[in-house]
Amino acid sequence: MIKEVFVVILLAVGCFFFLAGTLGLLRFPNLYARLHALTNADNLGVGFIAAGMALYIGSPWTAVKLFFIWILTLLSGATTSYLIARFRKEHDDSANGNGK
Amino acid sequence: MDHVFVIVIIFLLLNICMGLIRLWRGPSVADRLLATQLFGTAGMAVLTVMAGYSEDLTLLNVVITFNVLSIILVICMVQVRKKKKKETP
Amino acid sequence: MELLTDGLLALLTAYLAFRCMLAPKLSKTVFTFFAFGLILALMWIRLGAVDVAIAEAAIASGFMGVLLLDSLRDFSPSYSEFEDNIEQPPNQVAFAKRSLSQWVPAIASGAGLLLFLFIALQAVREVPAGGGLAAFAEAKLPESGAEHPVTAVLLNFRAYDTLLEVAVILMGLLAIFAAGGIRQFRKPSLPPAKDPVLRKAILIFTPLLFLFGAFLLYIGKSGPGGAFQAAVLWGAIGILLHLGGWRIFNALSRRMRRIIIIAGPLFFLLTGFALMARSGTFLAYPPAFAGFLILIIETLAAVSIAAALTAIYAFLTD
Repeated sequence: MIKEVFVVILLAVGCFFFLAGTLGLLRFPNLYARLHALTNADNLGVGFIAAGMALYIGSPWTAVKLFFIWILTLLSGATTSYLIARFRKEHDDSANGNGK
Repeated sequence: MDHVFVIVIIFLLLNICMGLIRLWRGPSVADRLLATQLFGTAGMAVLTVMAGYSEDLTLLNVVITFNVLSIILVICMVQVRKKKKKETP
Repeated sequence: MELLTDGLLALLTAYLAFRCMLAPKLSKTVFTFFAFGLILALMWIRLGAVDVAIAEAAIASGFMGVLLLDSLRDFSPSYSEFEDNIEQPPNQVAFAKRSLSQWVPAIASGAGLLLFLFIALQAVREVPAGGGLAAFAEAKLPESGAEHPVTAVLLNFRAYDTLLEVAVILMGLLAIFAAGGIRQFRKPSLPPAKDPVLRKAILIFTPLLFLFGAFLLYIGKSGPGGAFQAAVLWGAIGILLHLGGWRIFNALSRRMRRIIIIAGPLFFLLTGFALMARSGTFLAYPPAFAGFLILIIETLAAVSIAAALTAIYAFLTD
């Protein structure tokens, strides 16, 4: 019973972070802000949901696998964020340079 | 417990639907790619919950497939742009 | 409750397919297609086909994604439109004013399609539960050399089909070469990517892709996975290294490239003929060696398909 309460709490927190990320993606004014909102919040969301499911399934090997999934998500999320930001920044810089 | 899982799955799918607005509104290709990243992470979360819901742990392999391939689109976009720059200096 | 999830997925699939076809801008079409691929993978899982879901996930978000992004660049009229801040005015598809008589064929064909779907649904429902060939395949499973029914069907009972599928990819590669004209693969002249994060990311993800592909190949014996899924992941290694500037495929000699691409289908075919000489039936594995033969055939086929996918990418983008 206690376990299930914890699972529900973890899943709810994960959902909250997903909602935050999506709202940021929709409402923030420019790409950099959206990047910041989405990649941070979604990584946490995946982490909490993976933690909740690891607790629910309860087998240690599955927990290791889910932890590995979360680490991979963090890695690709951070790289994605950096690469997209650099992509846009180079574009902005070259556009400003040409404008003058 | 099953009801909780279904609610979480539907909630995440609705998140994907909201992300579609950003995908269509754009305005740049980078924004659209960002929306695709949201679909990737939300899809992974949906699959993780489904794995517990249907008690089928092979679904985690699908999650890892999405995970290891999620980076290739971004790298492709960044590098593709590089090439174009070379062609029209 | 399940009906709600499945209904939402079904609606999303149809809606995304519709939007993908009718999107006014090419970039919208491409990215909507990525979303469509994801929803389709979820749909396959709800239908219980995890093998197909892995293949869909790998192909739609890996190989097809890269090809589509690359052609998006090629089809954009100018570089700026590929990543412009300002929304272009949408191409006005002649979609509006139609007279009533023009609507009649559309409505008639739509009604015909609905009727066809209805008949198809009826046909699916009339198959007896556990009937058809499924029970027969399950009964023969111990002799097939694989514990997973999908693998047993793909590589033993209907190995002939799989051989032809591997050959189809080879044919596709040849067709692309033929359509592309006489062109050599460019020698590795570009320097590797300068950006340290990009380099590190590629160097981290390459071994991960290799390991996970090998895992899928091995697990295919007893669960969802197999040669095609592993091949797409290994092909992604080639594409990733190519994108980073390490053009390993171009660095191979011409003869080596040919050998790698042909090895899988050739070994498959030769095994088939060797077994035909032995027992009189094409690709009839002896039960004692079936598992071993399937593993070798799958590995070689995966390597060949991965090389073919890399070759397609390298040829199309150079």
